[in-house]
Amino acid sequence: MVSLVRAELRKLLGLPTAWVGLVLGTLLAPVVVLLNAPYTRRAIAAGTLTDTSDLGLRDLGIGLIGPMVLGVIVVSSEYTSTGKDAPGARQLTATLTAVPDRLRLLAAKTTALVLVVAAQASVTAVVTLTLTQVLHGEHVPAPALTRVAAAVLYWTLTALLAYAIALITRNGIVPLTLLIINSSVVSVSYLLTKVTDLAAYLPDIVGARMFIRGADFPVAIAPVTAGLVMTAWVVALLAVGAVLFQRRDV
Amino acid sequence: MITIDRVSKTKGRTQILYDVSFEARPGRVTGFLGPNGAGKTSTLRILLGLDRSQSGTALICGRPYPKLDRPLTTVGALLDGSGAHRARTARAHLRWVAASNGLPDSRADEVLEVVGLTGHARKRAGRFSLGMSRRLGLATALLGDPEVLVLDEPVNGLDPAGIRWMREFLRDSAAQGRTVLLSSHLMGELAEIADDVIVIDKGRIVIHGDLAEVTGDHRTLEDAFLALTATEAGGPW
Repeated sequence: MVSLVRAELRKLLGLPTAWVGLVLGTLLAPVVVLLNAPYTRRAIAAGTLTDTSDLGLRDLGIGLIGPMVLGVIVVSSEYTSTGKDAPGARQLTATLTAVPDRLRLLAAKTTALVLVVAAQASVTAVVTLTLTQVLHGEHVPAPALTRVAAAVLYWTLTALLAYAIALITRNGIVPLTLLIINSSVVSVSYLLTKVTDLAAYLPDIVGARMFIRGADFPVAIAPVTAGLVMTAWVVALLAVGAVLFQRRDV
Repeated sequence: MITIDRVSKTKGRTQILYDVSFEARPGRVTGFLGPNGAGKTSTLRILLGLDRSQSGTALICGRPYPKLDRPLTTVGALLDGSGAHRARTARAHLRWVAASNGLPDSRADEVLEVVGLTGHARKRAGRFSLGMSRRLGLATALLGDPEVLVLDEPVNGLDPAGIRWMREFLRDSAAQGRTVLLSSHLMGELAEIADDVIVIDKGRIVIHGDLAEVTGDHRTLEDAFLALTATEAGGPW
């Protein structure tokens, strides 16, 4: 199993797109904190920003594009055509002839993804929160370690969510478009919370409740409950993806 | 040793394989011959555990492919394309495959040398010509120094020198005691290298035997093939 995980780590980190996800995901949040610093200072000074306990942690959201890209390409790179000479040929053939036990393969892929994203999330969280402390330290309480850990968990679960959807769709474009639009341009999940309180339990919305305290939320959900609900989403989608992956012809 | 026993496969509503049975023995080159769409690739994909059959068994050295431990050390497979992601260099591709089967990194450069791609180790697979892709695919198949080789249309896309090289390589492999199973729709090519021939048509095995048996009273393997598969001159094309 160790050699399988090593192989999957090499595969993932050998893809240029993975580095786009790693670099973007890691840099976006700290850059936003830096760019927003003058505005944030003014808002605090003017008294329009009174609840500063989420500062820094809330900024981590923009970096989620990183784990989304990573989660999707772990799967989509297997299904990409390897060349114009053989349009039906894909890396998945090489992967499954090397590792024919599909569930073991998925276990190795999942482990590799979790390791990479957890490392990325830890670095990003530490850098972003340290930067927030340096810039606004006198106004912002240092966040509890559990909240930082919850943010890292949120990133990791988001990557696994993207990965599970890609396993089901066997393609990168659909899940990536959906997830990125939903997390940046128009948050369909957020809009739905305006329609029904049930939407508060959608994975991306509920997951953020693990570490965001802000009050603009229709339903009170405790952090641990939030974590369990998001984990349940991920486990359910992964189970569907795994069953399909196990049964499908390549 | 490859043993395929009464394998049937349905895709959608169409049955594409009907009770396909044959063997490929060690020390021999077995040619799997049939027109395009006859079921050659489907049979090989079932043998390699990529596709599932509805019934029957396909065994390599007595075990189904998915039950092989570190399968690359038993079987080397060459299917369509190189299997390498376009963005990866030849060496990076070979190294992850090697790692997945617990093989050392040094094998990557060794097999690149065997197939004559040493000078292209750092080139991305997406920039390879068709012939180079086939060589990279073959290099991947050879990583684990396997005793069984399964190759789908291995000479497709190779230039004349490449075809001769492949022919000699496969003959040598069989001479060293390996089991070599290759599919082809090129009769002339197969007649040059196969010891045994299996002919498949419309999902059914029509004949199985050594080259002389299959050729029978016909002048060439090609004549025998066309008679067996009842393809009329000027027919399908």
